[in-house]
Amino acid sequence: MKDRTIGIQRFLKISSGLIILGLLTEIVSLLWFHPLSFVLFAFVSATLIGLGILVYLASLVFAVALPSGNRE
Amino acid sequence: MIGPTGILVALIVLTMVLTVVLIVRPSITAGATGKVLAFVALCILPALCIGGGMSTQMQRSEQTRFCISCHSMENHGKSLYVDDPSYIPAQHFQNHRVPPDKACYSCHADYTIYGPLKDKFQGIKRLYMQYVSTPPKTFQIPGGYSNLQCLHCHAGARKFEENPVHAAMMDSLKTNEMSCLSSGCHDTVHNVTQLGNVKMWRPGQ
Repeated sequence: MKDRTIGIQRFLKISSGLIILGLLTEIVSLLWFHPLSFVLFAFVSATLIGLGILVYLASLVFAVALPSGNRE
Repeated sequence: MIGPTGILVALIVLTMVLTVVLIVRPSITAGATGKVLAFVALCILPALCIGGGMSTQMQRSEQTRFCISCHSMENHGKSLYVDDPSYIPAQHFQNHRVPPDKACYSCHADYTIYGPLKDKFQGIKRLYMQYVSTPPKTFQIPGGYSNLQCLHCHAGARKFEENPVHAAMMDSLKTNEMSCLSSGCHDTVHNVTQLGNVKMWRPGQ
């Protein structure tokens, strides 16, 4: 059960990492006024953030409710 | 005053802060409050950031300076300052018949990212040519310039409708059978190859 919990936490970390990377590139695309900034947003930022959301949703699917004593 | 971009940046920062909290202490998601926080931070807020970002990018891409920031479009931007009323884009731009800060988008609202999927791919192809291969010396709009781009402003306008030449061919204009630009009537458009030979208008002089 502990291994399972670590797996879910790893999912959350991967999801968070992808979302932070996507948000950082989104900030760059907002500061950079150029046609390529649109491409950066559409193909990099949106993809990374979207993947992050998908990984989080996948963690919900694979998550199992733990007994209250084992939550930490 | 905080504009939409300021709100978006605040949203991005908030999302990043909450996401960092989840990286540092993933164990908080064991409780009900933590689960709600994770759902908001990893699903709701990022989705809002994508939507807000797309909206901001689309609005920015409508601006004239966005279009002419591409090297290939520089001369098209210069052609807006030609001091000759027969240059259709120049007379529209200089007389504010189109908003000067959205001059390109006003007459090319069906172009590249604003058009259907085929045009969006055309836009990506243009970017590829610009940065990877060689951009063409002259640009051609696939299928030609649509009269609908003119008619979305001129149709119904008194001066346009009462002009006997326009009235006689109105059906052909509306069905795009006869082009406003290439039928010999309004055929001086950007004409970028002639920019060195024409007088330029300098605002304020």
